[in-house]
Amino acid sequence: MTATKAFLAGTFLLAVLVALSLSVGPQGFGWGDGGTLIMLRSPRVLAALAAGLALGIGGAAQQGVFRNPLADPGLTGVFGGALFGIALLLGLSPESAWQRAWFIPAAAFGGALGTSALLVLCGSGGSTARLLLTGLGLNAFTAAGTLVIASRSGESRELLTNGAYGDWLGMATIELTWLPVLLCATAAILLIPTARSLDLLSFGEDAARGFGCEVGTVRRKAILLTALAAAAATCLVGQVAFIGLLAPHLARALVGPRHAKVLPLSALLGAILLLGADTAGRGLWPQAPLSAAAVSAVIGAPLFIWIARGAP
Amino acid sequence: MSEGLIEALGLGVEIDRRRIIDGVSLSAAGGQTVAVVGPNGAGKTTLLRALAGLLPHDGELKVAGHDPSIVDVATCAQNRAYCAQKPVSAWDYRVSDLGEIVGDPVGYDAWLEKLRLGDCAGRRLSELSGGEQKGAHLAMAFASLAEPFGGALLLDEPASALDLSRQEAVRQAIVAFAQAGAACVIATHDLSFARRCDLILVLSEGRLIAAGEPASTLTPKVISEVWGASASTVS
Repeated sequence: MTATKAFLAGTFLLAVLVALSLSVGPQGFGWGDGGTLIMLRSPRVLAALAAGLALGIGGAAQQGVFRNPLADPGLTGVFGGALFGIALLLGLSPESAWQRAWFIPAAAFGGALGTSALLVLCGSGGSTARLLLTGLGLNAFTAAGTLVIASRSGESRELLTNGAYGDWLGMATIELTWLPVLLCATAAILLIPTARSLDLLSFGEDAARGFGCEVGTVRRKAILLTALAAAAATCLVGQVAFIGLLAPHLARALVGPRHAKVLPLSALLGAILLLGADTAGRGLWPQAPLSAAAVSAVIGAPLFIWIARGAP
Repeated sequence: MSEGLIEALGLGVEIDRRRIIDGVSLSAAGGQTVAVVGPNGAGKTTLLRALAGLLPHDGELKVAGHDPSIVDVATCAQNRAYCAQKPVSAWDYRVSDLGEIVGDPVGYDAWLEKLRLGDCAGRRLSELSGGEQKGAHLAMAFASLAEPFGGALLLDEPASALDLSRQEAVRQAIVAFAQAGAACVIATHDLSFARRCDLILVLSEGRLIAAGEPASTLTPKVISEVWGASASTVS
């Protein structure tokens, strides 16, 4: 499929999904009198779009940096780090957490950056096993830390538990979402220009530097922006695995591996997948909706196993 | 013809506290082809990586006017091309994608044709043989040195895994770069390939054993000392 056709088809599908998502509610389909329900649902739809976009492009960038098709901020512990950062803030200073709009995203970014740094220190080197085992360790550590804090802070317990299950989209309001949405878009826009460097990096460090690529700078930039994307997405939806894995794989299957196409298409597909998962979770079981993370895991987990079978 | 495009004096490289290259000096002018030969583990690849600015070194080094370990890699890449011994790719690109990635699709396509790989342009890298993949990466390296005059071409085992006709095509490409004014340094195990170069450097255990014109350098005594084999066997 050509890139133009893929983008056109993806944009059309996304538009249909947005319309569908805006019309789905606990009482079934409908937009309310004068579209009042649209206004109520639009922050949630916007949050799912932005988070999906960040998850998709973040996954593609992380796979490019680590030269590994199984890299995904959810599996490598970066989302866990972001949620742990939020948990630390809520645990240490629950009152101050909501006083400033940027406190929560900043805490998430700090956590995501911390786990990214540990991932680079301990998990890079090309081996899938090393990367995923490091991610496993980071996920276990940050999940344990988040649970300890949640269990000791009565007010935040439900909030953090919902975050760990990727179930924060339901509490989306304009006040809570505008900054993370802006950060998702910023991370995505700044990741696009790294496309050629990520292509060069795919030939190994020596070859990339041989062709004039500042490997260290590109790595730092991509890891920083992936952490930002993961942190902003976590603020919107909580922890969601597999979107960052699924979107780049679909993108590469559609348009080939060039990052100039894969990065933007992964963003588009990430938005489609997360919004689709959220809409399906709400639309198919309106009385007891499933979280977007649960629906995406149902699709993503078998795909992960399928991809892992062919991993080096 | 320019003088001393590649100048190394007492070059040394240490990796993990192990001295891989020790006190190697070489000089390659524009228009010259230099073969670096030696047994496995002699330090040929490390020497080429150091010349390309990919490893920290001690001693003096200038490649196309710069010390590659000091100037940024983008400046380095303007005047030198490097192709690794075993190029790899994390993703299964189409052969034609590589031209856009290297930034000169027209030049890359021309080199693909010269290396008899023009009909592979639409195929994926995974569909190529090892030799064809090496050829595609060589075409990338050649295309990246758009202006050969005053530049350096550093190739690690360029002819390995290639069939005879492509080996000859690669040799002709190297000669063309040299004739256009580039200094070419080629690490190789192929002594007949090395004998057709202007100069030969013989390395063993990271040290320079002999250097000079092929006839006076690759003597039976040197071959016996370095490879532990008779000259006729090696030839």
